Amino acid sequence: MTATTAVSRESHSAVPMRVSHLAQTWAMSKRAIFAMWRQPSLVVPSLVFPLFFIALGTSSFSRAINLPGFPEVDSYLDFALAGAIVQGVLFGSVTGATAMAIDIENGFFDRLLASPSTRTGILVGRLAGGMAYGAGQTAFFMVVLIPFGLTIKSGVIGALALIISGTLLALAVGALMSTMALRTGSSEAVQGSFPLLFIAIFFSSAFFPRETMTGIYGTLADYNPISYLVEGMRDLVIDGLTWSALMRALLIPALMAIATIALALRSLRKRLARS
Amino acid sequence: MSDAELPIFAEGLEKYFGSGDELVKAVDGIDLRIEAGEIFGFLGPNGAGKSTTIRMLTTLLKPTGGEARVAGFDIARQADDVRRNIGVALQDAAIDPLMTGTELLHLQAVLYGLPKNQHRKRAGELLERVGLTAAADRRVGTYSGGMRRRLDLALSLIHEPSVLFLDEPTTGLDPMSRISLWEEIRRLNNDGTTVLLTTQYLEEADHLAERIAIIDDGVIVRKGRPTELKAEVGCPTLFVSVPADAQECATEVLERFGEIRPSAEGSLGVGLTEGPGAVSAVIRQLDEAGVTVKNLELHEPSLDDVFAEATGHRLEGASEPGNPAGAE
Repeated sequence: MTATTAVSRESHSAVPMRVSHLAQTWAMSKRAIFAMWRQPSLVVPSLVFPLFFIALGTSSFSRAINLPGFPEVDSYLDFALAGAIVQGVLFGSVTGATAMAIDIENGFFDRLLASPSTRTGILVGRLAGGMAYGAGQTAFFMVVLIPFGLTIKSGVIGALALIISGTLLALAVGALMSTMALRTGSSEAVQGSFPLLFIAIFFSSAFFPRETMTGIYGTLADYNPISYLVEGMRDLVIDGLTWSALMRALLIPALMAIATIALALRSLRKRLARS
Repeated sequence: MSDAELPIFAEGLEKYFGSGDELVKAVDGIDLRIEAGEIFGFLGPNGAGKSTTIRMLTTLLKPTGGEARVAGFDIARQADDVRRNIGVALQDAAIDPLMTGTELLHLQAVLYGLPKNQHRKRAGELLERVGLTAAADRRVGTYSGGMRRRLDLALSLIHEPSVLFLDEPTTGLDPMSRISLWEEIRRLNNDGTTVLLTTQYLEEADHLAERIAIIDDGVIVRKGRPTELKAEVGCPTLFVSVPADAQECATEVLERFGEIRPSAEGSLGVGLTEGPGAVSAVIRQLDEAGVTVKNLELHEPSLDDVFAEATGHRLEGASEPGNPAGAE
């Protein structure tokens, strides 16, 4: 610290009375997005594993599409895309919430709170980062799988709807995981929820249609909202553009997002009140 | 200057955690009146209540009781105004390791609402000021502890705050990094910034702060200028190391020369009421009593003595004769 420069005081005014919350939130969103791409070890699994599962499924279950109860599809690849998107987005959302918990653990959260920044923007910034990643993931899966024979019957509009659906799901799950991050302030607790998400996907129609399921497995899948979301997205791929599919693909994650954002905001308020 | 105009004012500030049998009085009625342009040191061991006080004054923690004003604003009712006018560098330099120094400064500039056309210039100035220009575009995760602290300081200065809070700014730093940070804090103070810093280093408080408050168990036990506080202790302390089986006998001898003062294990301390001239008599009488002296050191009154006199114990690691100033 030998170099000394007089910082010109006259060139800077005091902090303005009204600081743009939009600019603050946007800056925190950019930080969240860059953070994702700067942690390849955390990001790559949420891109690679769904593709691995889909490759495994397509090679192993290619004849399963002829089972009774299976919808009419050209290939298991078309059937499995929706499950892969949901799987990838769910895992990716854990990364964003873990980053928020790490901010709390290492004190960066306090740095933000000690500044005149918008409190809600801290949460929104993180969620926006997760949404951008969710959109990117969904587009990535489609682009990678199209050369392998993926056909989206609803065309470009359907593909866009799938991206929006993936983005909304990232928002919903990101808010849920952020709730846990805000309540516990522990990155371990957030990462510990990973198996629960895994179970939630497996007890849904992500990999097989509910019509082929029996017993407790089928019952749980019937009650699991992920089943209906996946089916909406899947119908856009295998049936074409229908209002029913579009509504399920967009409304279910949107409703989930409204509920989980309310939870996350409540947890944020509680954390701020605690301090 | 009236209390309302002081950059930092606190009266009866309290923070309790828990309740019933598990009630912990982390800060138990602190009064502070810090003048504009002052470097004020908050000295105390870990867990004394230093960081809790800083967290309350910087609006990160709601007080249980009492009142405080920072930069003229009430910390409870005008928290946003307080935040606009203060700079804060918290313990452990909480910095996102994935971001570069420049990116962090830009983010900080947005958070404090600096006009966009000033971001680059201001970031460049601050990076140069703290000697990090060469590392500006490196991720913070690659920085050394000293570099992180310097960046932390730069971040806290983005909006040119009139009041700066530094929570243990040099903890864990090597001596060179510590000294360079002290120089920077002095420069800032010369520019007119009021600084409240917490430290557990006696040397830091002694050399940097114009006035200090010694805090122990959530209570301020001494407050004043280091020179005045040391003068109040009066006589120098003689530390004598003797074999364990001779401690009792040696204590009896030392008591003839003044009051016994807290000291490190294996050592005895006595305040020599007759000054340094009494050392030869101490040695002679210990020799006559058959006590073998292993080591002997005479220390002029230090802040550690002030702390020991006020609390009955010495600051952790500060009382060893070989480490009188408490430097770690």
